[in-house]
Amino acid sequence: MTANADVLVPVVDRGESLEELVHAAEEHTRGGISNPVLGMILFIASEVMFFAGLFAAYFNIRSNAPVWPPLGNVEFNLRGHVLLPAILTLMLVTSSVTCQIGIWAIRRGDRKGLMRAFVVTIVLGILFLSGQAYDYTTLGFGINDGPFGSTFYTLTGFHGAHVFAGVLMLGVVLYRGMAGQFSARHHDAVEAASLYWHFVDVVWICLFTLLYILG
Amino acid sequence: MIRPRTTLLVAFLFIVVAAVYYALSRDAGGTTMLVALGIAMGLLSYTLALGSPKG
Repeated sequence: MTANADVLVPVVDRGESLEELVHAAEEHTRGGISNPVLGMILFIASEVMFFAGLFAAYFNIRSNAPVWPPLGNVEFNLRGHVLLPAILTLMLVTSSVTCQIGIWAIRRGDRKGLMRAFVVTIVLGILFLSGQAYDYTTLGFGINDGPFGSTFYTLTGFHGAHVFAGVLMLGVVLYRGMAGQFSARHHDAVEAASLYWHFVDVVWICLFTLLYILG
Repeated sequence: MIRPRTTLLVAFLFIVVAAVYYALSRDAGGTTMLVALGIAMGLLSYTLALGSPKG
């Protein structure tokens, strides 16, 4: 007799239907977290270490520099250039809120609500990437302009790549949602994508605070 | 079975190590890595404990 059959015996005695028996067996053996969400959380944990390496490099270079921002031919003045990044931050935070609204909608079984919320989230993500690309053209320094330029573009560039990946992920979820693949009970991919999006948002808040506010 | 909340002690341990390391060395880079390691390990252990089968 298998482990699941052991579970089913007392349920059969109560005269439950086959569907209820299977559901009971699933509930008994299943963990408290779905595989897609578990995988995404483990992936995010590895991403925490990835960004930690970049932040640590920034702190190391900064603490070893006699003057920060370094003096040179190019002026590094991010504090005087904070308006557009602040608007972009607001956009990304708002996109996290709309993403969560989508999650709440699908938990209620509201597919249209999920679609609407995720369309807004994706549009805000694309606007963020466009704004960041424009911001790069107005900064006045490049990735080759010393340690400041290289760390700045490495940190924000890798974050931008993650936002791009998040937009793609949300796009796939949106497509699957339009195909009717999600319901109130089955929407693990939506939960996993939203976790990733929130993580990307948190990383940007750290970057914005470090690079633009603290200087 | 380990309770998920108990696994957060792993994160706390790394944060303590990070605090001691910073107090001794004043090295912001290494401290960042240790703090992030604490967050990552806490997240990993909490999730794995939470996701382990009930039966």
